[in-house]
Amino acid sequence: MSGRLTTKTGEIVAYSEAAIRGNISAVEYCRTSMAALSGCAAGILGLNGLLGFLFYFLSVFVLWLLVLAKSGTQWRKFFINRQSLLTNNFMGGLCTYVLFWTFLYGMVHVY
Amino acid sequence: MTELLIDPNIRVWVFLPIVLITFFVGVIRHYVSVLISSQKKAEITQIQDSQAMIRARLLRENGKYLTPHSFAMRKNFFNHEETGYFKTQKRAPVAQNSTAMLTDMVKGNFINVLPMVIIGGWINWMFSGFVTTKVPFPLTLRFKPMLQRGVELASLDAAWVSSASWYFLNVFGLRSIYTLVLGENNQADQTQAQADAMTGAAMTMPQDPKAAFKAEWEALEITEYHSALKNVEKDMLHHAFGSDVSIENSIRQ
Repeated sequence: MSGRLTTKTGEIVAYSEAAIRGNISAVEYCRTSMAALSGCAAGILGLNGLLGFLFYFLSVFVLWLLVLAKSGTQWRKFFINRQSLLTNNFMGGLCTYVLFWTFLYGMVHVY
Repeated sequence: MTELLIDPNIRVWVFLPIVLITFFVGVIRHYVSVLISSQKKAEITQIQDSQAMIRARLLRENGKYLTPHSFAMRKNFFNHEETGYFKTQKRAPVAQNSTAMLTDMVKGNFINVLPMVIIGGWINWMFSGFVTTKVPFPLTLRFKPMLQRGVELASLDAAWVSSASWYFLNVFGLRSIYTLVLGENNQADQTQAQADAMTGAAMTMPQDPKAAFKAEWEALEITEYHSALKNVEKDMLHHAFGSDVSIENSIRQ
Protein backbone atom coordinates (compact mmCIF):
# COMPACT_ATOMS: atom_id res chain seq x y z
CA MET A 1 0.00 0.00 0.00
CA SER A 2 1.28 3.40 -0.78
CA GLY A 3 -0.07 6.83 -0.32
CA ARG A 4 0.90 10.21 -1.54
CA LEU A 5 0.82 13.67 -0.23
CA THR A 6 0.97 16.91 -2.10
CA THR A 7 2.93 19.62 -0.38
CA LYS A 8 2.28 23.30 -0.70
CA THR A 9 4.74 23.65 -3.50
CA GLY A 10 2.91 21.06 -5.54
CA GLU A 11 5.58 18.44 -5.11
CA ILE A 12 4.33 14.91 -4.70
CA VAL A 13 5.86 12.90 -1.90
CA ALA A 14 5.31 9.18 -2.06
CA TYR A 15 5.42 7.13 1.09
CA SER A 16 4.60 3.67 2.25
CA GLU A 17 1.32 3.61 4.11
CA ALA A 18 2.11 0.43 6.02
CA ALA A 19 5.49 1.70 7.21
CA ILE A 20 4.01 5.00 8.36
CA ARG A 21 1.31 3.15 10.25
CA GLY A 22 3.94 0.91 11.84
CA ASN A 23 5.91 3.93 12.99
CA ILE A 24 2.85 5.61 14.40
CA SER A 25 1.83 2.51 16.33
CA ALA A 26 5.36 2.24 17.75
CA VAL A 27 5.08 5.82 18.96
CA GLU A 28 1.66 4.95 20.35
CA TYR A 29 3.24 2.21 22.47
CA CYS A 30 5.76 4.71 23.83
CA ARG A 31 3.00 7.16 24.57
CA THR A 32 0.93 4.65 26.53
CA SER A 33 3.95 3.51 28.52
CA MET A 34 4.87 7.09 29.17
CA ALA A 35 1.36 7.95 30.37
CA ALA A 36 1.30 4.96 32.71
CA LEU A 37 4.78 5.56 34.10
CA SER A 38 4.40 9.28 34.57
CA GLY A 39 1.03 8.62 36.20
CA CYS A 40 2.74 6.28 38.65
CA ALA A 41 5.43 8.87 39.32
CA ALA A 42 2.90 11.62 39.89
CA GLY A 43 0.90 9.41 42.23
CA ILE A 44 3.90 8.41 44.30
CA LEU A 45 5.13 11.98 44.46
CA GLY A 46 1.67 12.99 45.63
CA LEU A 47 1.16 15.74 43.10
CA ASN A 48 -2.09 17.58 43.58
CA GLY A 49 -4.52 19.36 41.34
CA LEU A 50 -3.12 21.51 38.58
CA LEU A 51 0.43 20.41 39.29
CA GLY A 52 -0.40 16.86 38.24
CA PHE A 53 -1.87 17.96 34.93
CA LEU A 54 1.14 20.16 34.33
CA PHE A 55 3.28 17.10 34.95
CA TYR A 56 1.35 15.25 32.25
CA PHE A 57 1.83 18.07 29.75
CA LEU A 58 5.50 18.14 30.64
CA SER A 59 5.92 14.40 30.16
CA VAL A 60 4.07 14.46 26.80
CA PHE A 61 6.35 17.24 25.69
CA VAL A 62 9.47 15.48 26.91
CA LEU A 63 8.43 12.31 25.08
CA TRP A 64 7.93 14.35 21.93
CA LEU A 65 11.42 15.80 22.26
CA LEU A 66 12.83 12.32 22.87
CA VAL A 67 11.15 10.92 19.77
CA LEU A 68 12.42 13.82 17.72
CA ALA A 69 15.91 13.36 19.15
CA LYS A 70 15.72 9.66 18.27
CA SER A 71 14.63 10.28 14.70
CA GLY A 72 17.18 13.05 14.45
CA THR A 73 17.36 15.37 11.52
CA GLN A 74 15.76 12.83 9.24
CA TRP A 75 12.35 12.76 10.87
CA ARG A 76 10.76 13.28 7.46
CA LYS A 77 11.83 9.76 6.64
CA PHE A 78 9.69 8.33 9.43
CA PHE A 79 6.72 10.61 9.98
CA ILE A 80 4.55 12.82 7.85
CA ASN A 81 4.42 15.73 10.24
CA ARG A 82 5.76 16.56 13.65
CA GLN A 83 2.67 18.17 15.14
CA SER A 84 0.58 15.01 15.03
CA LEU A 85 3.35 13.25 16.96
CA LEU A 86 2.70 15.67 19.79
CA THR A 87 -1.06 15.77 19.74
CA ASN A 88 -2.13 12.27 18.70
CA ASN A 89 -4.20 10.39 21.25
CA PHE A 90 -3.71 13.12 23.81
CA MET A 91 -7.00 12.44 25.56
CA GLY A 92 -6.56 8.66 25.60
CA GLY A 93 -3.17 9.12 27.23
CA LEU A 94 -4.69 11.51 29.73
CA CYS A 95 -7.26 8.85 30.65
CA THR A 96 -4.52 6.34 31.37
CA TYR A 97 -2.47 8.94 33.19
CA VAL A 98 -5.35 9.94 35.46
CA LEU A 99 -6.09 6.31 36.25
CA PHE A 100 -2.54 5.53 37.31
CA TRP A 101 -2.17 8.84 39.09
CA THR A 102 -5.35 8.23 41.07
CA PHE A 103 -4.42 4.62 41.73
CA LEU A 104 -0.97 5.30 43.14
CA TYR A 105 -2.09 8.44 44.93
CA GLY A 106 -4.79 6.40 46.63
CA MET A 107 -2.42 3.60 47.50
CA VAL A 108 0.28 5.82 48.92
CA HIS A 109 -1.32 8.99 50.24
CA VAL A 110 -4.98 8.36 51.02
CA TYR A 111 -4.69 5.30 53.23
CA MET B 1 -11.02 19.71 51.94
CA THR B 2 -12.36 17.16 54.35
CA GLU B 3 -9.81 14.63 55.45
CA LEU B 4 -11.20 11.16 55.70
CA LEU B 5 -9.51 8.27 57.43
CA ILE B 6 -10.06 5.09 55.46
CA ASP B 7 -9.52 1.59 56.75
CA PRO B 8 -6.47 0.04 55.04
CA ASN B 9 -8.49 -3.15 54.69
CA ILE B 10 -10.57 -1.36 52.07
CA ARG B 11 -7.42 -0.90 50.07
CA VAL B 12 -6.55 -4.57 50.15
CA TRP B 13 -10.02 -6.02 49.74
CA VAL B 14 -11.83 -3.45 47.59
CA PHE B 15 -9.51 -0.99 45.90
CA LEU B 16 -6.94 -3.44 44.53
CA PRO B 17 -9.37 -6.24 43.61
CA ILE B 18 -11.40 -3.90 41.41
CA VAL B 19 -8.30 -2.96 39.42
CA LEU B 20 -7.25 -6.56 39.03
CA ILE B 21 -10.75 -7.77 38.14
CA THR B 22 -11.20 -5.11 35.49
CA PHE B 23 -7.84 -5.85 33.96
CA PHE B 24 -8.13 -9.61 33.89
CA VAL B 25 -11.71 -9.54 32.65
CA GLY B 26 -10.44 -7.53 29.69
CA VAL B 27 -7.70 -10.08 29.04
CA ILE B 28 -10.11 -13.00 29.35
CA ARG B 29 -12.58 -11.29 27.05
CA HIS B 30 -9.86 -10.98 24.44
CA TYR B 31 -8.99 -14.65 24.55
CA VAL B 32 -12.61 -15.81 24.68
CA SER B 33 -13.42 -13.80 21.59
CA VAL B 34 -10.39 -15.26 19.85
CA LEU B 35 -11.63 -18.68 20.85
CA ILE B 36 -15.21 -18.44 19.65
CA SER B 37 -14.86 -16.15 16.68
CA SER B 38 -15.47 -18.06 13.50
CA GLN B 39 -13.43 -17.65 10.38
CA LYS B 40 -15.50 -15.97 7.75
CA LYS B 41 -16.13 -18.20 4.79
CA ALA B 42 -16.08 -16.49 1.44
CA GLU B 43 -17.18 -17.59 -1.99
CA ILE B 44 -14.42 -17.75 -4.54
CA THR B 45 -16.21 -15.29 -6.82
CA GLN B 46 -16.45 -12.86 -3.95
CA ILE B 47 -12.72 -12.99 -3.43
CA GLN B 48 -12.18 -12.62 -7.14
CA ASP B 49 -14.40 -9.56 -7.20
CA SER B 50 -12.76 -7.90 -4.27
CA GLN B 51 -9.30 -8.53 -5.67
CA ALA B 52 -10.38 -6.99 -8.97
CA MET B 53 -11.65 -3.98 -7.09
CA ILE B 54 -8.38 -3.64 -5.24
CA ARG B 55 -6.44 -3.88 -8.48
CA ALA B 56 -8.56 -1.20 -10.08
CA ARG B 57 -8.08 1.06 -7.09
CA LEU B 58 -4.32 0.51 -7.12
CA LEU B 59 -4.29 1.35 -10.80
CA ARG B 60 -6.11 4.59 -10.10
CA GLU B 61 -3.74 5.54 -7.32
CA ASN B 62 -0.42 4.38 -8.67
CA GLY B 63 -1.03 4.45 -12.41
CA LYS B 64 1.15 7.50 -12.65
CA TYR B 65 4.26 5.38 -12.27
CA LEU B 66 3.44 3.29 -15.33
CA THR B 67 4.15 3.98 -18.94
CA PRO B 68 1.21 5.34 -20.92
CA HIS B 69 0.92 2.09 -22.80
CA SER B 70 0.76 -0.02 -19.66
CA PHE B 71 -1.76 2.27 -18.09
CA ALA B 72 -4.04 2.18 -21.11
CA MET B 73 -3.72 -1.60 -21.27
CA ARG B 74 -4.71 -2.06 -17.65
CA LYS B 75 -7.51 0.44 -17.91
CA ASN B 76 -8.77 -1.35 -20.98
CA PHE B 77 -8.79 -4.65 -19.15
CA PHE B 78 -11.28 -3.27 -16.67
CA ASN B 79 -13.22 -0.72 -18.66
CA HIS B 80 -13.36 -1.82 -22.29
CA GLU B 81 -16.84 -1.39 -23.69
CA GLU B 82 -17.28 -5.00 -24.77
CA THR B 83 -14.59 -7.05 -23.09
CA GLY B 84 -13.79 -5.07 -19.94
CA TYR B 85 -13.92 -6.94 -16.69
CA PHE B 86 -16.35 -4.56 -15.06
CA LYS B 87 -18.58 -4.69 -18.13
CA THR B 88 -18.72 -8.41 -18.70
CA GLN B 89 -18.95 -9.72 -15.17
CA LYS B 90 -22.56 -9.96 -14.24
CA ARG B 91 -23.00 -10.86 -10.64
CA ALA B 92 -26.23 -11.42 -8.85
CA PRO B 93 -26.43 -9.59 -5.58
CA VAL B 94 -24.95 -11.75 -2.92
CA ALA B 95 -27.59 -13.44 -0.89
CA GLN B 96 -26.48 -12.71 2.61
CA ASN B 97 -26.14 -15.72 4.75
CA SER B 98 -28.41 -14.29 7.36
CA THR B 99 -27.90 -16.91 10.01
CA ALA B 100 -24.13 -16.44 9.93
CA MET B 101 -24.54 -12.69 10.25
CA LEU B 102 -26.90 -13.19 13.16
CA THR B 103 -24.54 -15.53 14.95
CA ASP B 104 -21.73 -13.03 14.54
CA MET B 105 -23.84 -10.26 15.97
CA VAL B 106 -24.97 -12.37 18.87
CA LYS B 107 -21.39 -13.39 19.56
CA GLY B 108 -20.23 -9.79 19.41
CA ASN B 109 -22.90 -8.71 21.86
CA PHE B 110 -22.18 -11.69 24.00
CA ILE B 111 -18.53 -10.75 24.26
CA ASN B 112 -18.87 -7.00 24.60
CA VAL B 113 -22.05 -6.17 26.41
CA LEU B 114 -22.59 -9.12 28.65
CA PRO B 115 -19.33 -8.95 30.67
CA MET B 116 -19.78 -5.21 31.00
CA VAL B 117 -23.23 -5.63 32.50
CA ILE B 118 -22.50 -8.71 34.56
CA ILE B 119 -19.17 -7.61 36.00
CA GLY B 120 -20.44 -4.08 36.53
CA GLY B 121 -23.49 -5.37 38.32
CA TRP B 122 -21.48 -7.82 40.32
CA ILE B 123 -19.01 -5.17 41.44
CA ASN B 124 -21.87 -2.87 42.29
CA TRP B 125 -23.39 -5.59 44.44
CA MET B 126 -20.25 -7.02 45.95
CA PHE B 127 -18.36 -3.83 46.72
CA SER B 128 -21.27 -1.45 47.14
CA GLY B 129 -21.11 1.46 49.49
CA PHE B 130 -17.36 1.84 49.90
CA VAL B 131 -15.55 5.09 49.57
CA THR B 132 -12.41 3.78 47.93
CA THR B 133 -10.13 6.63 47.02
CA LYS B 134 -9.75 10.29 46.29
CA VAL B 135 -8.85 11.77 42.94
CA PRO B 136 -5.87 14.05 43.43
CA PHE B 137 -7.49 17.05 41.84
CA PRO B 138 -10.47 19.14 42.91
CA LEU B 139 -13.75 18.58 41.12
CA THR B 140 -16.98 20.51 41.00
CA LEU B 141 -20.21 19.29 42.51
CA ARG B 142 -21.49 18.20 39.14
CA PHE B 143 -19.15 15.22 39.25
CA LYS B 144 -20.66 13.96 42.48
CA PRO B 145 -23.33 11.67 40.98
CA MET B 146 -20.78 10.40 38.46
CA LEU B 147 -17.97 9.60 40.89
CA GLN B 148 -19.96 8.72 43.99
CA ARG B 149 -22.44 6.24 42.69
CA GLY B 150 -23.72 4.12 45.53
CA VAL B 151 -22.57 6.57 48.19
CA GLU B 152 -25.16 9.29 48.62
CA LEU B 153 -23.61 11.65 51.13
CA ALA B 154 -24.40 15.30 50.60
CA SER B 155 -21.48 16.60 52.64
CA LEU B 156 -18.77 14.44 51.08
CA ASP B 157 -16.25 16.26 48.93
CA ALA B 158 -16.69 15.61 45.21
CA ALA B 159 -13.13 14.33 44.88
CA TRP B 160 -13.86 11.12 46.74
CA VAL B 161 -14.62 8.12 44.54
CA SER B 162 -16.97 5.28 45.34
CA SER B 163 -16.24 1.68 44.43
CA ALA B 164 -18.71 1.48 41.53
CA SER B 165 -17.29 4.61 39.95
CA TRP B 166 -13.75 3.39 40.50
CA TYR B 167 -14.68 0.42 38.34
CA PHE B 168 -15.79 2.68 35.51
CA LEU B 169 -12.66 4.79 35.81
CA ASN B 170 -10.71 1.58 35.39
CA VAL B 171 -12.71 0.47 32.35
CA PHE B 172 -11.90 3.68 30.54
CA GLY B 173 -8.34 4.06 31.70
CA LEU B 174 -7.19 0.55 30.96
CA ARG B 175 -8.12 0.65 27.28
CA SER B 176 -4.74 1.73 26.02
CA ILE B 177 -3.01 -0.62 28.44
CA TYR B 178 -4.69 -3.51 26.64
CA THR B 179 -3.07 -2.35 23.44
CA LEU B 180 0.24 -2.49 25.24
CA VAL B 181 -0.30 -5.91 26.79
CA LEU B 182 -2.26 -7.80 24.17
CA GLY B 183 -0.84 -6.18 21.09
CA GLU B 184 -2.84 -4.40 18.48
CA ASN B 185 -6.19 -5.53 17.11
CA ASN B 186 -7.16 -6.96 20.44
CA GLN B 187 -10.80 -7.54 21.21
CA ALA B 188 -10.76 -5.90 24.61
CA ASP B 189 -10.39 -2.47 23.09
CA GLN B 190 -13.41 -1.79 20.93
CA THR B 191 -12.58 1.66 19.63
CA GLN B 192 -9.30 0.45 18.20
CA ALA B 193 -11.03 -2.45 16.47
CA GLN B 194 -13.47 -0.13 14.81
CA ALA B 195 -10.76 2.18 13.61
CA ASP B 196 -8.91 -0.76 12.11
CA ALA B 197 -12.07 -1.92 10.40
CA MET B 198 -12.26 1.47 8.75
CA THR B 199 -8.73 1.45 7.42
CA GLY B 200 -8.82 -2.17 6.29
CA ALA B 201 -12.06 -1.62 4.44
CA ALA B 202 -10.53 -2.70 1.15
CA MET B 203 -10.27 -6.28 2.30
CA THR B 204 -13.95 -6.74 2.99
CA MET B 205 -16.17 -8.23 0.40
CA PRO B 206 -18.39 -5.81 -1.46
CA GLN B 207 -21.98 -6.31 -0.42
CA ASP B 208 -23.46 -5.74 -3.83
CA PRO B 209 -20.89 -6.45 -6.53
CA LYS B 210 -22.89 -4.88 -9.29
CA ALA B 211 -23.11 -1.47 -7.66
CA ALA B 212 -19.50 -1.66 -6.50
CA PHE B 213 -18.35 -2.54 -10.01
CA LYS B 214 -20.30 0.36 -11.43
CA ALA B 215 -18.78 2.79 -8.95
CA GLU B 216 -15.29 1.52 -9.61
CA TRP B 217 -15.90 1.62 -13.37
CA GLU B 218 -16.95 5.25 -13.13
CA ALA B 219 -13.99 6.16 -10.98
CA LEU B 220 -11.59 4.47 -13.36
CA GLU B 221 -13.28 6.02 -16.37
CA ILE B 222 -12.62 9.55 -15.17
CA THR B 223 -9.03 8.78 -14.19
CA GLU B 224 -6.63 10.44 -16.55
CA TYR B 225 -3.06 9.47 -17.06
CA HIS B 226 -0.43 11.83 -15.71
CA SER B 227 3.04 10.45 -15.52
CA ALA B 228 4.80 11.10 -12.24
CA LEU B 229 8.12 10.12 -13.78
CA LYS B 230 8.02 12.59 -16.62
CA ASN B 231 11.33 14.26 -15.89
CA VAL B 232 12.94 11.42 -14.06
CA GLU B 233 15.82 10.95 -16.53
CA LYS B 234 16.75 14.59 -16.29
CA ASP B 235 16.48 14.46 -12.54
CA MET B 236 18.74 11.46 -12.37
CA LEU B 237 21.29 12.97 -14.71
CA HIS B 238 21.18 16.09 -12.64
CA HIS B 239 21.83 14.11 -9.50
CA ALA B 240 24.61 12.12 -11.14
CA PHE B 241 26.50 14.92 -12.81
CA GLY B 242 25.57 17.86 -10.67
CA SER B 243 24.58 21.11 -12.24
CA ASP B 244 26.59 20.53 -15.41
CA VAL B 245 23.48 19.33 -17.07
CA SER B 246 21.76 22.58 -17.67
CA ILE B 247 18.30 21.40 -18.31
CA GLU B 248 15.02 22.44 -17.01
CA ASN B 249 14.17 19.92 -14.35
CA SER B 250 12.24 21.81 -11.80
CA ILE B 251 8.91 20.95 -13.33
CA ARG B 252 7.78 17.72 -11.91
CA GLN B 253 4.38 17.25 -13.43
